[in-house]
Amino acid sequence: MRHLRKKLLPALLVALALSALGFAATAGAQRRRGGGADVATTDANAGVNVYAITNARIVTVSGATIERGTVVIRDGLIAAVGANVAAPPDARPIDGTGLTVYPGLIDASSTLGIPRPTPSPGAAGAAGGFAGLFGQSAPSATSPNSTQLPGLQPEILASDILRPGGPEIEAARNAGITSAQTVPRGNVFLGQSAVINLAGDSPQAMIVRSPVALYIGLNPIGGGQYPGSLMGVFSSVRQMLLDARRYREANEIYEHNPRGLRRPEQDKSLAALLPVLDRRMPVVMQADREREIERALDLAQEFNLQMIINGGQESDRVAARLKALNVPVLLSLNFPRRTAAASSEADPEPLRVLRERVEAQKTAGRLAAAGVRFAFQSGGMTTMSDFLANAARAVEGGLARDEAVRALTLRPAEILGVSNQLGSIEVGKIANLTVTRGDLLARDRRITQVFIDGRQIELRPAATSTGGANASGTWSLTINLAGSGNEKQEFGVTLTLQQQGERLSGSLQGQLGSGTIANGTISGGDVNFTVPITLTAPASQTTDAIFSGTVAGGEMRGTVQIVGRGSGSFVGTRAGAQPPPTGTTPQGGTTTPAGGQPPAGTRPQPAGAATSLSGTWALTSSFGGQQITSTLTLEQQGDRLSGRVESRFGTGEITDGSVTGNTFRFSTNATFGGQTISLTYEGTVSGNQMSGNVTTPRGSIPFSGTRNP
Amino acid sequence: MKRLLTLAFLLTLACAVASAQTRGGQARAGGAAQDTLIRNATVLTASHGALPATDVLIRNGKIVAVGQNLKAPEGARVVDATGKFVSPGIIDPHSHSMMDGSVNECTKSVTSMANTRDILNPTAIDIYRELAGGTTAALLLHGSCNSIGGQSTTVKLKWGHPAADYPVPGAPPGIKFALGENPKRSNFNVPGLQGRYPATRMGVEETIRDAFMRARDYRADWDDYRARTARGEKNLIPPRRDLELEPLVEVLEGKRYVHSHCYRADEILMLMNLADEFGFKIRTLQHVLEGYKVASEIAKHGAMGSTFTDFWGYKLEAYDAIPYNAAIMTRHGIVTTVNSDSDERARRLNIEAAKTMRYGGLTEEEALRLVTLNPAIQLGIDNRTGSIDVGKDADIVVWSAHPLSVYSHPELTFVDGELLFDRQADIARRPALEAERKQLEQAEANRAPAQGGTPPRAPGAIRRAYADDDDKQDVEDNQR
Repeated sequence: MRHLRKKLLPALLVALALSALGFAATAGAQRRRGGGADVATTDANAGVNVYAITNARIVTVSGATIERGTVVIRDGLIAAVGANVAAPPDARPIDGTGLTVYPGLIDASSTLGIPRPTPSPGAAGAAGGFAGLFGQSAPSATSPNSTQLPGLQPEILASDILRPGGPEIEAARNAGITSAQTVPRGNVFLGQSAVINLAGDSPQAMIVRSPVALYIGLNPIGGGQYPGSLMGVFSSVRQMLLDARRYREANEIYEHNPRGLRRPEQDKSLAALLPVLDRRMPVVMQADREREIERALDLAQEFNLQMIINGGQESDRVAARLKALNVPVLLSLNFPRRTAAASSEADPEPLRVLRERVEAQKTAGRLAAAGVRFAFQSGGMTTMSDFLANAARAVEGGLARDEAVRALTLRPAEILGVSNQLGSIEVGKIANLTVTRGDLLARDRRITQVFIDGRQIELRPAATSTGGANASGTWSLTINLAGSGNEKQEFGVTLTLQQQGERLSGSLQGQLGSGTIANGTISGGDVNFTVPITLTAPASQTTDAIFSGTVAGGEMRGTVQIVGRGSGSFVGTRAGAQPPPTGTTPQGGTTTPAGGQPPAGTRPQPAGAATSLSGTWALTSSFGGQQITSTLTLEQQGDRLSGRVESRFGTGEITDGSVTGNTFRFSTNATFGGQTISLTYEGTVSGNQMSGNVTTPRGSIPFSGTRNP
Repeated sequence: MKRLLTLAFLLTLACAVASAQTRGGQARAGGAAQDTLIRNATVLTASHGALPATDVLIRNGKIVAVGQNLKAPEGARVVDATGKFVSPGIIDPHSHSMMDGSVNECTKSVTSMANTRDILNPTAIDIYRELAGGTTAALLLHGSCNSIGGQSTTVKLKWGHPAADYPVPGAPPGIKFALGENPKRSNFNVPGLQGRYPATRMGVEETIRDAFMRARDYRADWDDYRARTARGEKNLIPPRRDLELEPLVEVLEGKRYVHSHCYRADEILMLMNLADEFGFKIRTLQHVLEGYKVASEIAKHGAMGSTFTDFWGYKLEAYDAIPYNAAIMTRHGIVTTVNSDSDERARRLNIEAAKTMRYGGLTEEEALRLVTLNPAIQLGIDNRTGSIDVGKDADIVVWSAHPLSVYSHPELTFVDGELLFDRQADIARRPALEAERKQLEQAEANRAPAQGGTPPRAPGAIRRAYADDDDKQDVEDNQR
């Protein structure tokens, strides 16, 4: 048996290598087809549903670690595990010599598979009009016929809006994560979460359990709608829970005897809160600071809720109370760290901030010592390789190694009520496995295989997952921000980006000061980076701006979160021509000369020839909570533009119209509520599409348009 | 030798404080309340004059004796205050300190459901700075964005304690009202953008009247339900609990104090008339810069006044002000205070009070009362604080000189007998903090990822000079 294996091994490796080549090509072809389905599992493995990983170290988590043993996977489940288990003859064998098999890692709180609200002009209207532009992040879904505003709808189900595939899920799998709790994005009542497996061609196939927990966030919904402050968030949560109690009571009375009673109005938002009031469903509240956790626990005690703390950066300071109330923590591994260099004349950072960064990695060890149950979660990190790296830092910070592994596997499964299905290597559980060379929490660890639902997942090299998009170059960005004040809220900046693989570096310069980009990533055309900016109103303040957007050809757009200030949007165009796709990264961030590859999907323009904007354009933008359509008639002569804008606010003649290359600007007037205001349009044109921003006395709103045929 | 011992003591203290800080992120300067004897001070009682060469004994957080030649109990801290002054802790009757997020829930004209208690931030550095200015208690108010704002919280500045320790037990609840330019949004209008109702002083009055009519109906609904239940009627669905109207019912029943932001004489009269119509009293008029014009009417209604000494002109309705306002109201029998409405001014309210001796000729004790006993009366906590009297909470400041002098500064500030500010200890621990900073900056998490400079970070929580409590943006603690 033993010598047979020795002979078989080289042949097996060759076979594996060949099949790897084969499926890489096929998978690439499938990606190019651009279908919505998740194509993670390989063609070479298609149809294979029995695996045997032999000679591996097996960390079962639930029981003792098996130093040398076999795991058999059959039909998506773990069929056998042990030191003396023989590989069945029909199994595809995987030699696990030198490998360690762990239960698949679980991200205990994420937004994986939940679509981002599109930062298109239309979305601003949905978020509450003009001010919605400047408000908090828009919910990822809205519930029809709800009694509540978007952002306050507990009936939203993650399982209803889940989408398979996508670069975030792939990045998580590459980091060894096989399952996650995922939750809709929103403001106050985010909706109900689901536990999903990170593979599957349909949402239905991904869901392990739904609904799992109700999420309560602390983000005012903005747009002039109540609640517009943290105070209001608490009072609105309290009122809705009281209303739900009464809803339950009224319905019970009515069902008992409807005679002589007006029937209670049906209300699905309140109905969605009943499992929470009955303690049949836990509530997850975002709370990092000691005082935030205390507030969450106060609320839990006020309404007798089964609470779970999400984030928990300072949860060790509340450990005694968490333990007494048996409240678990979903502890973020997105540890705070310095994201920008400070110049010599900068004020020193507060000592508190310095301490927090150092203390963050010690929280987990202290929670374990205090006997508080906790599981790790990704905390919205943009670089998923930080997930295990920071878990290792928690071990350096005093957490026992096996406790760390448990917090990545069985503990989240227990907290989320899926420990019969996930979290350990036991016969009958779902075959989610993460296989590593080297210890999971060692710096030199490499994830070699990932199995989800018993199927082997292709782990793609990072460089190929950017989908061909290349963000390198110099970009002109327009950033729109605002708070409650009347300050000017549109800022022009120049962004210089250099892309290497999935990493982005570079700098930002312009009206928001200058800063160097930190933790920049690009994945599948999605760009994320953080850069320090300086706001001047209402007070001069330097803070981090977190950009999150997409690159398509020469255009970049997305949302920007200003730390401590709320969010806004940005849109930008790349100066010069498009650099070649990924693979050949231009040095030094300079753009390639004109004549490079034209971006896919845009009409090639002859170099130096100005686009003609003449024609009739249908424009859409969003103002005061309403979607506004207008008709733009343009006449271009040389670099001069004339024409008019017609909308229900009247017809305004265009003044000061000019065209430079593919950018244009003009001014016009419109009448709002009896007052005439001046509007300045600035934008770019690409073929029959245009987009840009309208500057109004209050701020700036984006618009987009198409040329009528 | 004595000097050497003192130095050793200070160093030990500094180390202890520094290590306590490592986890807490803030100093808990005195630990639990230790018994203290303050010896031989000039005691400004604020209730019964100044007592020369007097001792004050603090036990279990209370003032247990005020007199001469008191004996220190075993283990008590003894403070030699020879040549120094002792006053009650200063109480700031209009503060927006230690609040997370916006101080305004601005989306509606009536936001009585909002509660400042929900957003207390016990780590706000302003608390410590205010203790360093001798302030030991404050009324935390909602902003003035709307006619009826949120619920207030009366706190002691218990620096180093969790938020739950801040509210003063038994303090009557309060609520913020606002009149004039802020609730009608006259300085916040944007052409082309729909404003929030109301837009006039008429509208402000209407929103308040409407709210109280709704509150009356609400109370009647519940009274009716309770009566029917008491009669034995079955199968009744109870009325909805309404967090907006419940505090207003409490106002109607005299259980909740109204603290109303106001400027002009006409709107002050309007509010008092409206309160008379509904049968409740306005507890305090805040700002009340034209209070001197209608002082008799204010006294007749029974309202109290809380004003600035010499801060005005920052908007149209704040033009017609005089520095004699506090004195004139005092002379009309109105319980008057001066307040900060500012994290900065809250550190020097003793100086604000002193100005009324120059402008209006208040006596020393009358001036001191403006920031001690009178605010305690306004907040309904004068049974436990606001003066140096046996039986009251040991909220006490030891000053280097007379607190109504610009040359004085607090040396020790006690809250409930706990030493929460100690100027010498603060100075002594600075080298240790500096050393800790150096060490922390070496840590991986604090190292900058790349080269490149950012502009100097400006201090957070800057307030524009022309604004009152409407527009504070607390950026400091939202840094992430």
